[in-house]
Amino acid sequence: VNIMAESKASITIRTRKFMTNRLLSRKQFVIDVLHPGKANVSKAELKDKLATMYEVKDPNSIFVFKFRTHFGGGKSTGFGLIYDSVENAKKYEPKYRLIRTKAGDAAKAGKKK
Amino acid sequence: MKAGLDAVTSKVEVLTEKVKADHFPTADGISYLEAKHLLLLNYCQSLVYYLLRKAKGLSIKGHPVVRSLVEIRLFLEKIRPIDKKLQYQIQKFTRVDTTAAEKIGSSDKEVDATQNMDDLLKLRPNPDMLESKTSAASEDATGVYRPPKFAPASMAEDKISREERNALRKEKQALRQARQSTYVRELMNDLQGRPEEVKEFVGTESRELTEYKEKLEDRARREEDLFTRAPLTKLEKKKMKHMKKSRNGLQGLTESFFDEIKTLPVEDDVGGQITGFENDVDGDRKFKRRKPKLSFALAQEALRKKKLMPWVESAMNLDATNQLPAFFCQR
Repeated sequence: VNIMAESKASITIRTRKFMTNRLLSRKQFVIDVLHPGKANVSKAELKDKLATMYEVKDPNSIFVFKFRTHFGGGKSTGFGLIYDSVENAKKYEPKYRLIRTKAGDAAKAGKKK
Repeated sequence: MKAGLDAVTSKVEVLTEKVKADHFPTADGISYLEAKHLLLLNYCQSLVYYLLRKAKGLSIKGHPVVRSLVEIRLFLEKIRPIDKKLQYQIQKFTRVDTTAAEKIGSSDKEVDATQNMDDLLKLRPNPDMLESKTSAASEDATGVYRPPKFAPASMAEDKISREERNALRKEKQALRQARQSTYVRELMNDLQGRPEEVKEFVGTESRELTEYKEKLEDRARREEDLFTRAPLTKLEKKKMKHMKKSRNGLQGLTESFFDEIKTLPVEDDVGGQITGFENDVDGDRKFKRRKPKLSFALAQEALRKKKLMPWVESAMNLDATNQLPAFFCQR
């Protein structure tokens, strides 16, 4: 029996609690993702969608993290940040998040050798 | 200034003569206060010398005066707690007028002046002030026992009688329970025009599950406010695993059963023997429900005796989910 891996439903993204953080030169918000039928949505896909939504030139300045799927599935909530530039991102973002997006140096990071 | 210096020098010379002649023997050790005075004096001396060197522009690097300054400072810091402890006594002594001047001289010799306390120290316990237990109670002439009033009594302006208070509480409880029931919730959602929320669930939702979901939502709201996530403790992870286990969705089936039949005229002994009918297979005792559940067998027995309506009997003979919608429609 062949089970269709793709679901027909599309992914909807909503942002809440939008705030412009001038001190850290970024915009931060809470992301609600609706994905009925799927387990969860990959962060790369979310970044692309956010880039189109907010007309960001460089998707490397977008970071999404701490996603939790709600009970029963179909909806997950997380946080998102959009920096003004990639240099700002490199300055303010914690190292582990930069490493996740390959923007940081994995060899340098870490105290245990 | 020269005259003052000359006077000091002559006095010091006289003293050193006396010391050399053994007029001030220190074979028994010196008292605490004397030692403290000596330390302070030495400290002042060293300070003055230090400042002198600095004023003249000489270097102080490696000079022993610096070391001695540090040492004396260290000692002074160390004796500070002793000072604090003796402070009360010393104050008492210094406050006393000149007639007790000799007493000051004598007590100086004691390092830890806890013994040989004289009447000047008033902080000791006074047994004369103790109240006897028997004297106060037996004063009442009428012979009625009146408990001693030592706790503050509140003067309630509007006294609510016990019945009224119980009735108020029952009302609040009923209101709370009604608010939680799904039917009332739907009604309220309709009236307030909220958008309809379609949730998917398997079978009937148990109260445990709805409460858990509400807790999670509350937690999520707070996390979003603060833009951080609180880490899940081991206990919380366990509970989440417990909730996510699929248990055929029949959890909530008999939850409101007891509420529905308790208004029916059933024998009283059924209420007394309430046991949990659903046991967790792996024995997570931490997550067992606190509210006692009616035992199925006992309830069956009692109702069969009373020969109640057939729909109740059919409800108890329920086996699978497909009978459920029919049963509810009949009502």
